[in-house]
Order: sequence, then structure tokens, then C-alpha cells
Amino acid sequence: MENKIFEANKILETRNITKEFPGVKALVNFNFDLYKGEVHALIGENGAGKSTFIKILSGAFAPNRGEIVLGNEKYHYFTPNTARRLGIQTVYQEDILVPPITAAENIFLGVEEISEKKFFIGYMQIFKKAEELAKNIGINIRVDEIYEKLSPSDQQFVKILKALAQRPKILILDEPTQAFNKNDIGLVIEMVKRISKEGVGVIYIAHDLDEIVEVADRITVLRDGKKIKTHDRKVESFKTDVLANEMIGRPVDLFYKKKENPIGDYVFEVRNLKLKPNHKPINFKVKEGEILGVAGLKGAGRSEIARAIFGALKKHEGMIFYKGKNITPTNPIQAVKSGMALLTENKQIDGLFMGMPVCQNITMVGLDKIGKLFINLTKEKKLSAEYVKRLNIKTPSLDKEVKFLSGGNQQKVVIAKWLFKGVNILIVDEPTHGIDVNAKTEVYELFTELATSGKSIIMISSEMPELISLSDRVIVINNFEITKELAKDEISEANILSGFIGRK
Amino acid sequence: MSNNNEINKNVSKKESPLKKLSFLNNQIVYLIIVIIFICVIASLLNPKFFTFKNFLNIMQQISILGILTMCMSLLMISGGLDISIGNMTGLLAIIFARLVLTGKGIVLGVTVAFVLGTILGFINGFIIAKSKVTPLIITLGMDYVFLGFALIVGGGRPHAITGQFEFLGQYRIGGVVPVSIILFFIIFLFAFSLRKYTKYGRRLNAIGGNPQAAFLSGINVDWHIISIYTLSGFIVGFTSLILISRLGMVQADVGSNFALQALAASIIGGITFEGGRGSIVGAFFGVLLLGILNNSLNIIGVSSFVQTIVLGAIIVAATVISNIGKMRRQ
Repeated sequence: MENKIFEANKILETRNITKEFPGVKALVNFNFDLYKGEVHALIGENGAGKSTFIKILSGAFAPNRGEIVLGNEKYHYFTPNTARRLGIQTVYQEDILVPPITAAENIFLGVEEISEKKFFIGYMQIFKKAEELAKNIGINIRVDEIYEKLSPSDQQFVKILKALAQRPKILILDEPTQAFNKNDIGLVIEMVKRISKEGVGVIYIAHDLDEIVEVADRITVLRDGKKIKTHDRKVESFKTDVLANEMIGRPVDLFYKKKENPIGDYVFEVRNLKLKPNHKPINFKVKEGEILGVAGLKGAGRSEIARAIFGALKKHEGMIFYKGKNITPTNPIQAVKSGMALLTENKQIDGLFMGMPVCQNITMVGLDKIGKLFINLTKEKKLSAEYVKRLNIKTPSLDKEVKFLSGGNQQKVVIAKWLFKGVNILIVDEPTHGIDVNAKTEVYELFTELATSGKSIIMISSEMPELISLSDRVIVINNFEITKELAKDEISEANILSGFIGRK
Repeated sequence: MSNNNEINKNVSKKESPLKKLSFLNNQIVYLIIVIIFICVIASLLNPKFFTFKNFLNIMQQISILGILTMCMSLLMISGGLDISIGNMTGLLAIIFARLVLTGKGIVLGVTVAFVLGTILGFINGFIIAKSKVTPLIITLGMDYVFLGFALIVGGGRPHAITGQFEFLGQYRIGGVVPVSIILFFIIFLFAFSLRKYTKYGRRLNAIGGNPQAAFLSGINVDWHIISIYTLSGFIVGFTSLILISRLGMVQADVGSNFALQALAASIIGGITFEGGRGSIVGAFFGVLLLGILNNSLNIIGVSSFVQTIVLGAIIVAATVISNIGKMRRQ
């Protein structure tokens, strides 16, 4: 019997899992195992098959072939209910809990035995239990606070606590640190380690390799739906460059080396911009062909300033000039007309039409190019195919709905949308948020190319390597004002960081 | 380089002849199957069902509801909906009848129907676009307002204009094809082209799919919302003329059932409340299904009370089936 060689501590094994979608092999003969009390990280580019795998484990997808061994039983697929019953809990990045009730209620939603009362909610009881649960894994949040009032990172903790309240044997965390600042990622890592020490097997998915190396006991690399290798901390020390290499399938430099882009004269100017009367005025200029990095912590006001420049957010006062002409937009319609583009941080929420095909997303802003009243559908196909090719967007067809594309490819569709329209000023907000190393490099190449062709790029970013390697100049924002301006040769992590706190 | 080739291969692979039929998505295929099924059963039970004359009959019966369904579908695709179109039709029809009966003339009546319909549509659109309140609530309220006005104008009595205005609703071209069917097809083709081939329709679709992204893409969201409600009001004005021409007589609540039936036909046709989805062709088949069902139940002698139950059950079944399809796709 095969089951006899199943080791006592092994809680999960998958054998030859294969999952195919029309036109895509998402997973091919994937073998994976998980031991009690370990953190097993799963890494790979967007579209490598990680999400498919965890969706199979949580019962959202049934594999075409292969088997899952759990305990002493073999399964060909799970339903969400079996997965839950067998002690598998998945915390997805996009999970949404019930916003207007307290964190504690969210945590114990559906866990009946928590309260001795049969029908009513024992608030004191669940607050106490939720607090205990939180303390157990070393986190400190207000469990009696309304869920939607919590910060994004605390909301993430609540999601994880909710999963833990079900006493899982296997906990799957899908990019648990996305909502966190770099400094707070340590908290998550601490917490995950504690959870695994309690005997839970953790499957951990993230993009940041430094984070992975710190948290994982073992790392499995996936590429194009196939397992490349499993690394074990007991046998070797993890090396990020080796991992990145395996993910992408070719040697990769984590620090992007930008080609020089010729920089012209000042063309774009933001003059005396104030969002609220009590803010200090913001003044800056951007040259033709220049990439201006905008640094600052989350919540420093960077995104709001970008939106105000674009006319999507009301400004108290301030003017915008392009080549000496006042183009101050009061709404995005005017901004788009005068050649500005805003690539928002949450492309899925406000940048893409998820239910519409790739080609229609690409042509959405520049519809005027493919018809006066009627759309020339042949031309639309032809032109959008050119952009798909030029930006190397991986999609099974032009008619595929954007929601089926990976994050990196979605970002490229957003960029294509604006390039199709033709723009002079690109304001990009966290352009590589949530996309993998390879797609990042492609986005950087694209930006360099755009700058070289004379476009000006204002790039808001929290990623130091990105700011340092891509920017021709950096301004640092703190509390809705510019605290520092760094010329090309002054750009360094230390200089940028010093602007995060101080004032001028 | 190899990546690029792969994409080209992938992109071209899909360019098969079948793609031309891509508008026949699953929902429409189901609908056609159900329609054929009902036709077969009805023909077996009563041979009179499957005749050209009866087919024209069905088409004439659904032409008014069909036109209103086109309005409803366009609104729903852009993320809205208008529960008041039924009583708006009734109000405009009764105003027309009063104008004709008091000797103000047909020309003035027609003008008022179009102009007032456009204005009422504009009012709906303006309130919805500017207040950002969900269209269901606004138009539900307006529905009562229109019904109330219709009762005041008509004094709660029926008004007959028999013989004075028959072309739109009763004339048959060559003695065979009713004008109203032609009008329905014209509006259907108009809505279909608007949705599929115009920039305006594409932008409506975008607004229905993701209003925030549409706003940030420089689309004038408010203008599009107001204009589509206004256009819908204009078409409702037109519909009210066909209605009174066909019936020859109206009373205030003559259109009360239309809005929900148009909503039902749209949903059966695969158009969703979330907006940005569904097709005009689907809505067309949705209306057709309602019409054929109604007609076949009549022909085989099922009482109208039972028919009401069947209509409700069909709506529930259609939405459930389309939702199952959606879940499976995910």
C-alpha cells in the first residue's frame, strides 16, 4: 500500500496534479508536500500556477488529473466544504469580510461553539476569545473595532485570525504582506513563524524574495505550471538570485540597469498646488523625456496629489502647465484631452474594465482613433494586436476578458490603453505593485523607452530599487508637501529615507 | 522573440470562422433551445400554432414590449435601469389621447409625446447621474409620479380614440406585415448597432462595467448616463404612440406591467444588474421567449392566471441558469 510510506508528519501530498484551462496548461504533473509545523513557500511569476494550485486545495477548482493525499485518504478533487472539513483554510488577498461589524464577530462568524448562548451573540465572550487568539500569535489589534475602520494591515490580520479560529491543519496565505509597509512585514513573518510552531502547516505565497527567504522552511519554485525545484533550509541556505533565476528561467539582475534616456527642457509644471487650505503649496517641474520619482510613505499624500493633478480630486488651488500653456484640469476629461495619463495603483478597481476583452480595454481611451461615430472593429483588432505584441502582453486572444490575465499582463494592458491614446505626461502610481520580477523588468524597459521617445513620467513608488534605478530625479513627499528634491547623483536609499520624516 | 511568436500564434488561432458567431453566447443558445422546445410542444398540442399568421401575431404582440426592452437593456448595460418606463408610456399615451379628443390635433399630440418623453427621460437621467443614488429607487419613485399624473390627466377613466390614429399600431403593409413589427425591428437594429458598433455604446458599456475606471479614463460619465436615459425617454414617447394606435383606447395604468416585463426579458436574455454585460440580441430572444410562451399558453387554453405563475417561474429559472453558467466559467 502506498499509504504506508506516508510519513507521520506529512500532512499533505499532491501527486501529478494537472489543471488545464482552454488554451492554457495552468499546472502540469505538480507534486507538492507539506509537513506539520513547516512554512512551505510557493514562488513563481504571475501565471506560473500558484493561484491555480491553492484554488485546487481550497476546492475552488477541480484538477483534470492527479490526486491529493491528506491524512490517510486519497482525493481526486475537493469541494470547498471538504477542504474546510479537512482543516484547510485559505486567506486570499482579495478576501472581503463583513465591513460594518466588529473584527471579533468577523473572526468567529460561522464558529458556533464559541458562545454558550444558543441564539444571541455573547459579545464579551467573543471579544475575549478573539483577543486570546491574537495574543497567541503575537499580534496586537483592537478586536472590538468595526472591521472597515481598521487599517488595511489590521484587516489582513483579522482575515488570518478568522482562518485560525477554524483551527486549521493547513493554512494557505496568498500574499499576506501586500497591505503592509516594508517595515511592518516583519510582524507578519513573526506571526507566521508562531503559527507554524503551533503545528500548523503553512503554504505561503508572496512575490518578495527577501521576505520568502526569511519566512520559509522550504521553497518550491513553479514556472509555467511545472515544478522547477524544491529548496530545503536544512540542506542549503536560500539565495535570492538563484530563486529568481529559477522563476524566470534565465539569469536576472534584481537591480534594473537603465539605458540613458536623453532629457530635454522643462515641459510640465505644477504650480502652487494645495489640496487643502492648510497645506503647504507644492511646486515641481518635469523635463521632456525625464522620469521623476516620487517617494514617500503610504498615506503621505502621493496618490492624492497625483489625482489632484489629473483633475480626479478637487484641489484647493494650484495650476498645471504644459509647455507654458495653462492646462489645469478640473476633471479627468480635460486632463486626458491635454495629454495626461494616470495609471492608478489599484488597476483592477479603477484602471481596467475587467469584464471587457483585452482589445476593448486597450482602445477605450483612444476610441477617437478608430472611428468617428462607429467603431471600425477590424481596425480595432489590428491596432490592439500591435500593442499586444509590442508590450508582450500574454493573452490567449484579443477577445479574452482582462480579468483572466495575470497581474503583470493586466498592468501592461493599462499601459497599452494610454499609449494607444497617445500621451505626453504619464503619472504612474506604484506601477509594479503586485507584479512579478520578470514583468517588472518589462515595465521598466517600457518606461525607459517611453522617456526616450520624449514622454515625461511621474512615477510614484514605494520600492527603493525602482526609484533608485529608474528615476532621473526624485522628490520626496511627506504629509502633503515636498520635503526633499534629489538630483540624479544624489539619489540613494539614505537620502530618500531622510525625506520621509523631516521637513525642508 | 519566441514569446512574440507564441502570442501571434495564439491570437491568430482564435480567428476561426466560428468567431463570427461569437455573439451567440451560451445564454442565447439556451434561449433558442427553450424557444424551439416550446414551439414543438405547442405545435403538437395545437396545429394552429405553427403557422405564418400566428408567427406574425406573436411578433405584433411583443413589438411594444420589445421596444421597451431595448430601452431597458441599453440602460442596464450602462449600469442603470428604469422602472418608470411602463407608466411613462401610459402617461404619454393618455396625454396624446386627451389632446386628440379635445381637438388639438394629431400633429401636436405626436410632438408632445416625443418632446415630453425626452424631457421625462432627461429628468430621470439627470437625477440619477447627479445624485448617484441607485437608479432602482429613483425610477421607482418616478414610476408613481408618472402614474399619478396619468390618473390626473385621464381622470381615472378610459379614453377611446378609435379610428383616428391607426397607422402605427394596426396598419399592415401589403395587408400582411404589421407596421409595429417593422418598427420593433428598426429599434432592435438601432440598439444593437449602438451597443456594438458605436463609440457611444462602447463607452456606455464601460461605464456599466466600471464607472470609476471610466471616469479616470476621461469618459464623461454623467453626460453618458443622462443622454442614455434621455434617449430612452424619446423611444418611450414613440412607444406610447404605437401603444395607443394599437389599442385605440387607453387608461392611466395601461403600461404598469411593461417595465417589469421589459426587465424580465432583459434578464432572461442574459443582461445583468451589474451592468457592462449581456447583449441586445440576447434581450431580443428574451422578449421572443416571453411572447411565444404567452401565445402558446393562450392557444392551448391555459388561463391567464396560470400564465402569470409561469412567467414568474421562467424569470427565476433563467436567472438561476445563467448564474450557474457564470459560476462554472469561474
